[in-house]
Amino acid sequence: MSSMRIGFYHSLIRMDEKRLIESFQSMPDVDLVFMDDRKMTFEPGRDRFDMDAVLARSISHSRNLYGLKLLESAGIPCVNSAAVTEVCGDKLKTSVALVCAGVPHPRLMAAFTPESALVAIENIGYPVVLKPIVGSWGRLIAKINDRDAAEAVLEHKAGLGHYEHSIFYVQQYVEKSGRDIRSFVVGDRCVAAVYRSGPHWKTNTALGASVCNCPVSEEISALSLDAARAVGGGVLAVDLFETADCLMVNEVNDTMEFKNSIEPTGVDIPRLVAEHVISTAEQEVACA
Amino acid sequence: MTNLTNECPVCGAMLDFGSTPLIGELKDCMDCGVELEVTGIEPLTLTEAPNEEEDWGE
Repeated sequence: MSSMRIGFYHSLIRMDEKRLIESFQSMPDVDLVFMDDRKMTFEPGRDRFDMDAVLARSISHSRNLYGLKLLESAGIPCVNSAAVTEVCGDKLKTSVALVCAGVPHPRLMAAFTPESALVAIENIGYPVVLKPIVGSWGRLIAKINDRDAAEAVLEHKAGLGHYEHSIFYVQQYVEKSGRDIRSFVVGDRCVAAVYRSGPHWKTNTALGASVCNCPVSEEISALSLDAARAVGGGVLAVDLFETADCLMVNEVNDTMEFKNSIEPTGVDIPRLVAEHVISTAEQEVACA
Repeated sequence: MTNLTNECPVCGAMLDFGSTPLIGELKDCMDCGVELEVTGIEPLTLTEAPNEEEDWGE
């Protein structure tokens, strides 16, 4: 049997990447090819890559997105696809996809000037959460409790320079009672979930939130899979809020971090991801 | 199993890798707390990891 050549597109190798690498390297008949995004060059129309699929794990969203577009243009199937990465990497695009698919989602409004953003904020009503459309780990996310804070934050955003900060994403604040849920979708299965808890209203583990197992109920699984389908499917981490009325989807993440969730859930998430990538490659080889 | 060690380029503390790391792998210095990146294997070379950028994350 010939080996399956899998490209591992990366930058820094964190524990998440290391566990994925170990999973691939433990599989028979898999050749793992390292692709460091800091060293690669591309030439559209002339690139030739001798691999059956690529798993994108760059720590940089922009390098993931453009790398995937270039790899796909050279005929390489990628996990996740460039289209999914583009949607998930932009909170407004993600929200549009979720809302259009009827996935329960906190109320949000968008605006393109500080003045109209203030109108949107006061339309939703305080408190609101103002988020950059591109960003992760809770960076530059602000909870705005009153008009004074709104005016100050909007003024500061106007000084940030990058045009993306002129796209104002205003989300209704959802009281989470100190925790949210992170579920892990691999292909057509919700394979695991964790509660993320902490005293801060931002429950990112990057900001110190603790993690414990969350049993994957039918409701969590169904909602997570609906969210994954809405953005195009693949290997995704879905962030869920529990409200008095229902579960709702806050965000969908395309380069999911799972290192803190393996032990609490008892699920070998990196192994499942690696198997999904192999399956993707095998389907492409079979169709060729 | 090869036990590789090297000094932290910031504080000089000895860092033990246990086994051959990967190029690009991150390592924290437990003495000074700096995050380091493996930038060479033969010889084992460590540099300070790059700072977080605006589009980093999930």
